[in-house]
Amino acid sequence: MFQKKLLLTLISTSAFMFSNLSFADSVFGSGADKSKLTAISTILSTPENYLDQSVTVQGTIVKVCKKRGCWMELASDKQYKTLRIKVRDGDMVFPMTTMGKTAYATGPLTAIPLDLEQTKRYLAYQAEEQNETFDENSVTQAITVYQLNPVGVTIAD
Amino acid sequence: MFKNVNWFKLNRSLHRDIGYFCVGVTLIFAISGIALNHVEDWNPNYQVIHNTQTIPALKQMVERDSFETDLLISLQLNSKIKARFWQSPSQLKLFTTNEQTLMLNLDSNQVIIEQIKPRPILRSLNFLHLNEARKAWTYFSDLYAVMLIFLALSALFMIKGKKGVWGPRAIIVVAGFAAPLAFIFYYAS
Repeated sequence: MFQKKLLLTLISTSAFMFSNLSFADSVFGSGADKSKLTAISTILSTPENYLDQSVTVQGTIVKVCKKRGCWMELASDKQYKTLRIKVRDGDMVFPMTTMGKTAYATGPLTAIPLDLEQTKRYLAYQAEEQNETFDENSVTQAITVYQLNPVGVTIAD
Repeated sequence: MFKNVNWFKLNRSLHRDIGYFCVGVTLIFAISGIALNHVEDWNPNYQVIHNTQTIPALKQMVERDSFETDLLISLQLNSKIKARFWQSPSQLKLFTTNEQTLMLNLDSNQVIIEQIKPRPILRSLNFLHLNEARKAWTYFSDLYAVMLIFLALSALFMIKGKKGVWGPRAIIVVAGFAAPLAFIFYYAS
Protein backbone atom coordinates (compact mmCIF):
# COMPACT_ATOMS: atom_id res chain seq x y z
CA MET A 1 0.00 0.00 0.00
CA PHE A 2 2.80 2.39 1.01
CA GLN A 3 4.73 1.61 -2.18
CA LYS A 4 1.67 2.30 -4.31
CA LYS A 5 1.19 5.70 -2.68
CA LEU A 6 4.88 6.48 -3.04
CA LEU A 7 4.86 5.61 -6.74
CA LEU A 8 1.75 7.67 -7.45
CA THR A 9 3.17 10.65 -5.52
CA LEU A 10 6.45 10.38 -7.43
CA ILE A 11 4.72 10.27 -10.82
CA SER A 12 2.42 13.22 -10.07
CA THR A 13 5.30 15.29 -8.61
CA SER A 14 7.42 14.58 -11.71
CA ALA A 15 4.57 15.58 -14.03
CA PHE A 16 4.07 18.83 -12.09
CA MET A 17 7.77 19.65 -12.13
CA PHE A 18 8.18 18.88 -15.84
CA SER A 19 5.30 21.18 -16.70
CA ASN A 20 6.45 24.10 -14.57
CA LEU A 21 10.19 24.44 -15.20
CA SER A 22 11.18 27.88 -16.39
CA PHE A 23 14.62 27.25 -17.98
CA ALA A 24 16.03 30.47 -16.65
CA ASP A 25 19.58 29.66 -17.73
CA SER A 26 21.12 32.87 -19.01
CA VAL A 27 24.78 31.87 -19.25
CA PHE A 28 25.85 29.62 -22.10
CA GLY A 29 29.31 28.09 -22.48
CA SER A 30 31.88 30.11 -20.58
CA GLY A 31 29.66 33.22 -20.53
CA ALA A 32 30.52 36.44 -22.34
CA ASP A 33 33.56 38.53 -21.54
CA LYS A 34 31.87 41.89 -21.06
CA SER A 35 35.12 43.74 -20.36
CA LYS A 36 35.91 44.51 -24.03
CA LEU A 37 32.82 45.26 -26.05
CA THR A 38 32.94 46.10 -29.75
CA ALA A 39 29.91 47.73 -31.36
CA ILE A 40 28.23 45.55 -33.97
CA SER A 41 28.19 48.49 -36.39
CA THR A 42 31.99 48.83 -36.05
CA ILE A 43 32.45 45.15 -36.88
CA LEU A 44 30.02 45.21 -39.80
CA SER A 45 31.60 48.32 -41.33
CA THR A 46 35.01 46.60 -41.67
CA PRO A 47 34.42 42.91 -40.92
CA GLU A 48 37.69 41.81 -42.53
CA ASN A 49 39.56 43.59 -39.69
CA TYR A 50 37.94 41.30 -37.14
CA LEU A 51 38.01 37.97 -38.95
CA ASP A 52 39.01 35.04 -36.74
CA GLN A 53 39.56 37.38 -33.79
CA SER A 54 37.70 36.96 -30.55
CA VAL A 55 35.32 39.85 -29.99
CA THR A 56 32.45 40.58 -27.62
CA VAL A 57 29.27 42.14 -28.96
CA GLN A 58 26.08 43.30 -27.32
CA GLY A 59 22.62 43.70 -28.79
CA THR A 60 18.91 43.03 -28.50
CA ILE A 61 17.92 39.51 -29.58
CA VAL A 62 15.64 40.03 -32.57
CA LYS A 63 15.50 36.54 -34.10
CA VAL A 64 16.10 33.04 -32.75
CA CYS A 65 16.29 29.76 -34.66
CA LYS A 66 12.82 28.31 -34.16
CA LYS A 67 13.70 24.67 -34.63
CA ARG A 68 16.99 24.03 -32.89
CA GLY A 69 17.88 27.26 -31.11
CA CYS A 70 21.28 27.09 -32.83
CA TRP A 71 21.47 30.75 -33.85
CA MET A 72 20.16 34.13 -32.91
CA GLU A 73 20.45 37.57 -34.41
CA LEU A 74 21.49 40.60 -32.40
CA ALA A 75 20.39 44.06 -33.46
CA SER A 76 23.17 46.41 -34.37
CA ASP A 77 23.42 49.85 -32.83
CA LYS A 78 22.74 51.10 -36.39
CA GLN A 79 19.26 50.69 -37.92
CA TYR A 80 18.27 47.66 -40.02
CA LYS A 81 21.49 45.69 -39.34
CA THR A 82 21.96 42.51 -37.35
CA LEU A 83 24.79 40.11 -36.54
CA ARG A 84 24.18 36.39 -36.43
CA ILE A 85 25.45 34.41 -33.45
CA LYS A 86 25.80 30.80 -34.61
CA VAL A 87 26.74 27.64 -32.74
CA ARG A 88 27.07 24.05 -33.86
CA ASP A 89 23.74 22.25 -33.29
CA GLY A 90 23.46 21.33 -29.62
CA ASP A 91 26.53 23.24 -28.36
CA MET A 92 24.21 25.90 -26.96
CA VAL A 93 20.43 26.11 -27.29
CA PHE A 94 19.09 29.66 -27.35
CA PRO A 95 15.49 29.73 -26.08
CA MET A 96 12.90 31.49 -28.26
CA THR A 97 11.58 33.17 -25.14
CA THR A 98 14.72 35.35 -24.97
CA MET A 99 13.60 37.52 -27.88
CA GLY A 100 13.74 41.18 -26.96
CA LYS A 101 16.32 40.60 -24.23
CA THR A 102 19.90 41.89 -24.36
CA ALA A 103 22.61 39.37 -25.17
CA TYR A 104 26.39 39.52 -24.91
CA ALA A 105 28.39 37.08 -27.03
CA THR A 106 32.12 36.41 -27.10
CA GLY A 107 33.88 34.48 -29.83
CA PRO A 108 35.64 34.65 -33.20
CA LEU A 109 34.07 36.32 -36.23
CA THR A 110 33.93 34.15 -39.35
CA ALA A 111 33.08 34.87 -42.99
CA ILE A 112 31.05 32.61 -45.29
CA PRO A 113 31.18 33.78 -48.92
CA LEU A 114 28.10 32.58 -50.85
CA ASP A 115 27.52 32.42 -54.61
CA LEU A 116 24.25 33.73 -56.06
CA GLU A 117 22.41 30.41 -55.80
CA GLN A 118 23.55 29.89 -52.23
CA THR A 119 22.55 33.47 -51.43
CA LYS A 120 19.03 32.85 -52.72
CA ARG A 121 18.73 29.61 -50.77
CA TYR A 122 20.11 31.24 -47.63
CA LEU A 123 17.72 34.19 -47.80
CA ALA A 124 14.78 31.92 -48.71
CA TYR A 125 15.52 29.69 -45.71
CA GLN A 126 15.76 32.70 -43.42
CA ALA A 127 12.43 34.05 -44.70
CA GLU A 128 10.76 30.65 -44.29
CA GLU A 129 12.10 30.30 -40.76
CA GLN A 130 10.54 33.62 -39.86
CA ASN A 131 7.29 33.17 -41.81
CA GLU A 132 8.19 36.05 -44.09
CA THR A 133 7.45 36.32 -47.81
CA PHE A 134 10.43 36.04 -50.14
CA ASP A 135 10.90 36.71 -53.84
CA GLU A 136 14.10 35.09 -55.07
CA ASN A 137 14.08 37.32 -58.16
CA SER A 138 14.76 40.26 -55.90
CA VAL A 139 18.21 38.79 -55.13
CA THR A 140 20.74 39.88 -57.76
CA GLN A 141 24.01 39.86 -55.84
CA ALA A 142 25.88 37.21 -53.94
CA ILE A 143 26.58 38.04 -50.32
CA THR A 144 29.13 37.13 -47.70
CA VAL A 145 27.64 36.15 -44.39
CA TYR A 146 29.55 37.24 -41.31
CA GLN A 147 28.75 35.50 -38.11
CA LEU A 148 30.13 35.16 -34.64
CA ASN A 149 30.75 31.65 -33.34
CA PRO A 150 30.52 32.15 -29.61
CA VAL A 151 32.42 30.37 -26.89
CA GLY A 152 30.33 32.20 -24.33
CA VAL A 153 26.98 33.98 -24.25
CA THR A 154 25.28 35.85 -21.43
CA ILE A 155 21.66 36.94 -21.68
CA ALA A 156 20.50 39.77 -19.45
CA ASP A 157 16.90 40.63 -18.70
CA MET B 1 33.47 -18.12 -4.16
CA PHE B 2 31.04 -17.79 -7.07
CA LYS B 3 30.26 -21.52 -7.19
CA ASN B 4 26.95 -21.17 -5.39
CA VAL B 5 25.76 -18.16 -7.35
CA ASN B 6 22.76 -18.86 -9.56
CA TRP B 7 23.80 -16.67 -12.51
CA PHE B 8 20.54 -17.25 -14.36
CA LYS B 9 18.47 -16.05 -11.41
CA LEU B 10 20.81 -13.12 -10.70
CA ASN B 11 20.61 -12.00 -14.33
CA ARG B 12 16.81 -12.08 -14.26
CA SER B 13 16.67 -10.14 -10.97
CA LEU B 14 19.09 -7.48 -12.18
CA HIS B 15 17.27 -7.23 -15.51
CA ARG B 16 13.97 -6.75 -13.69
CA ASP B 17 15.21 -4.15 -11.16
CA ILE B 18 17.35 -2.14 -13.55
CA GLY B 19 14.42 -2.27 -15.98
CA TYR B 20 12.14 -0.82 -13.31
CA PHE B 21 14.69 1.93 -12.63
CA CYS B 22 14.91 2.77 -16.31
CA VAL B 23 11.15 3.16 -16.88
CA GLY B 24 11.08 6.90 -16.17
CA VAL B 25 14.19 7.87 -18.15
CA THR B 26 13.20 5.60 -21.04
CA LEU B 27 9.85 7.36 -21.30
CA ILE B 28 11.62 10.75 -21.25
CA PHE B 29 13.98 9.80 -24.08
CA ALA B 30 11.35 7.93 -26.09
CA ILE B 31 8.63 10.61 -25.99
CA SER B 32 11.05 13.47 -26.66
CA GLY B 33 12.77 11.32 -29.30
CA ILE B 34 9.54 11.10 -31.32
CA ALA B 35 8.95 14.84 -30.85
CA LEU B 36 12.47 15.81 -31.92
CA ASN B 37 12.55 13.35 -34.81
CA HIS B 38 9.91 15.44 -36.55
CA VAL B 39 11.48 18.84 -35.95
CA GLU B 40 11.14 19.62 -39.68
CA ASP B 41 7.36 19.30 -39.44
CA TRP B 42 6.62 21.07 -36.18
CA ASN B 43 8.21 22.96 -33.32
CA PRO B 44 8.65 20.41 -30.50
CA ASN B 45 9.61 23.02 -27.89
CA TYR B 46 7.33 25.99 -28.44
CA GLN B 47 3.83 26.75 -29.51
CA VAL B 48 4.06 29.75 -31.83
CA ILE B 49 0.73 31.48 -32.38
CA HIS B 50 0.26 34.18 -35.01
CA ASN B 51 -2.61 36.62 -34.92
CA THR B 52 -2.81 39.25 -37.66
CA GLN B 53 -4.61 42.52 -37.09
CA THR B 54 -5.06 45.61 -39.24
CA ILE B 55 -4.52 49.02 -37.66
CA PRO B 56 -5.64 51.89 -39.90
CA ALA B 57 -3.03 54.64 -40.56
CA LEU B 58 -0.24 52.73 -38.82
CA LYS B 59 2.42 54.88 -40.49
CA GLN B 60 0.99 58.04 -38.95
CA MET B 61 0.52 56.34 -35.60
CA VAL B 62 4.23 55.40 -35.43
CA GLU B 63 5.21 59.05 -35.54
CA ARG B 64 3.24 59.92 -32.42
CA ASP B 65 5.05 60.14 -29.05
CA SER B 66 2.40 57.95 -27.48
CA PHE B 67 2.65 55.40 -30.31
CA GLU B 68 3.56 52.35 -28.26
CA THR B 69 0.88 52.93 -25.65
CA ASP B 70 -1.72 53.64 -28.34
CA LEU B 71 -0.75 50.51 -30.25
CA LEU B 72 -1.02 48.26 -27.19
CA ILE B 73 -4.45 49.71 -26.44
CA SER B 74 -5.55 49.18 -30.07
CA LEU B 75 -4.38 45.58 -29.93
CA GLN B 76 -5.91 45.08 -26.48
CA LEU B 77 -2.63 43.82 -25.09
CA ASN B 78 -1.95 44.10 -21.40
CA SER B 79 1.84 44.28 -21.52
CA LYS B 80 4.73 46.72 -21.96
CA ILE B 81 7.23 47.17 -24.77
CA LYS B 82 10.69 46.14 -23.61
CA ALA B 83 12.65 46.45 -26.87
CA ARG B 84 12.24 47.58 -30.47
CA PHE B 85 14.02 46.93 -33.76
CA TRP B 86 13.62 48.51 -37.19
CA GLN B 87 14.09 45.63 -39.62
CA SER B 88 13.60 47.89 -42.67
CA PRO B 89 12.16 51.39 -43.20
CA SER B 90 8.66 49.88 -43.26
CA GLN B 91 9.05 46.96 -40.85
CA LEU B 92 9.30 47.39 -37.11
CA LYS B 93 9.50 44.69 -34.46
CA LEU B 94 8.38 45.37 -30.92
CA PHE B 95 9.03 42.95 -28.08
CA THR B 96 6.68 42.89 -25.10
CA THR B 97 7.16 41.79 -21.53
CA ASN B 98 4.68 38.94 -22.14
CA GLU B 99 6.94 37.16 -24.66
CA GLN B 100 5.08 38.54 -27.64
CA THR B 101 6.69 39.94 -30.76
CA LEU B 102 4.68 42.53 -32.66
CA MET B 103 5.72 42.65 -36.31
CA LEU B 104 4.50 45.88 -37.85
CA ASN B 105 4.29 46.40 -41.60
CA LEU B 106 3.75 50.09 -42.19
CA ASP B 107 2.97 49.59 -45.89
CA SER B 108 0.10 47.17 -45.34
CA ASN B 109 -1.03 48.54 -41.93
CA GLN B 110 -0.79 45.01 -40.59
CA VAL B 111 0.47 43.87 -37.22
CA ILE B 112 1.33 40.23 -36.66
CA ILE B 113 1.25 39.32 -32.98
CA GLU B 114 3.53 36.35 -32.39
CA GLN B 115 3.00 34.66 -29.05
CA ILE B 116 5.58 32.13 -27.94
CA LYS B 117 4.62 29.55 -25.32
CA PRO B 118 6.93 26.72 -24.23
CA ARG B 119 5.07 23.41 -24.64
CA PRO B 120 4.29 22.06 -21.15
CA ILE B 121 6.11 18.83 -20.22
CA LEU B 122 7.51 18.32 -23.75
CA ARG B 123 9.85 21.34 -23.43
CA SER B 124 11.24 19.81 -20.23
CA LEU B 125 11.67 16.37 -21.81
CA ASN B 126 13.46 17.86 -24.84
CA PHE B 127 15.63 19.93 -22.50
CA LEU B 128 16.93 16.69 -21.01
CA HIS B 129 17.08 14.74 -24.29
CA LEU B 130 19.24 17.39 -25.95
CA ASN B 131 21.38 17.68 -22.82
CA GLU B 132 20.79 21.40 -22.48
CA ALA B 133 21.32 20.95 -18.76
CA ARG B 134 24.83 19.49 -19.23
CA LYS B 135 26.67 19.25 -15.88
CA ALA B 136 25.64 16.18 -13.83
CA TRP B 137 22.90 15.21 -16.30
CA THR B 138 25.64 14.23 -18.77
CA TYR B 139 26.97 11.64 -16.32
CA PHE B 140 23.52 10.45 -15.32
CA SER B 141 22.55 9.89 -18.96
CA ASP B 142 25.87 8.06 -19.53
CA LEU B 143 24.93 5.78 -16.64
CA TYR B 144 21.49 5.30 -18.20
CA ALA B 145 23.13 4.32 -21.49
CA VAL B 146 25.27 1.72 -19.68
CA MET B 147 22.14 0.35 -18.02
CA LEU B 148 20.45 0.09 -21.43
CA ILE B 149 23.43 -1.90 -22.71
CA PHE B 150 23.07 -4.20 -19.73
CA LEU B 151 19.33 -4.59 -20.36
CA ALA B 152 19.95 -5.46 -24.00
CA LEU B 153 22.63 -8.04 -23.25
CA SER B 154 20.95 -9.54 -20.20
CA ALA B 155 17.76 -9.98 -22.23
CA LEU B 156 19.63 -12.59 -24.27
CA PHE B 157 19.96 -14.80 -21.22
CA MET B 158 16.48 -14.47 -19.75
CA ILE B 159 15.14 -17.80 -20.95
CA LYS B 160 16.93 -21.12 -21.22
CA GLY B 161 16.55 -23.72 -23.92
CA LYS B 162 14.79 -23.65 -27.27
CA LYS B 163 12.48 -20.79 -26.32
CA GLY B 164 15.50 -18.61 -25.61
CA VAL B 165 17.78 -16.77 -27.92
CA TRP B 166 19.54 -19.97 -29.03
CA GLY B 167 16.32 -21.36 -30.51
CA PRO B 168 14.22 -20.18 -33.45
CA ARG B 169 13.76 -16.79 -31.78
CA ALA B 170 17.35 -15.93 -32.66
CA ILE B 171 15.85 -14.65 -35.89
CA ILE B 172 14.26 -11.79 -33.92
CA VAL B 173 17.68 -10.74 -32.61
CA VAL B 174 19.11 -10.96 -36.11
CA ALA B 175 16.24 -8.81 -37.40
CA GLY B 176 17.06 -6.17 -34.79
CA PHE B 177 20.60 -5.91 -36.18
CA ALA B 178 19.52 -6.27 -39.81
CA ALA B 179 17.03 -3.38 -39.82
CA PRO B 180 19.53 -0.60 -38.98
CA LEU B 181 22.17 -2.23 -41.19
CA ALA B 182 19.72 -2.15 -44.10
CA PHE B 183 19.11 1.57 -43.55
CA ILE B 184 22.87 2.23 -43.46
CA PHE B 185 23.34 0.20 -46.63
CA TYR B 186 20.43 1.93 -48.39
CA TYR B 187 21.03 5.54 -47.34
CA ALA B 188 24.77 5.73 -46.75
CA SER B 189 26.08 3.78 -49.74
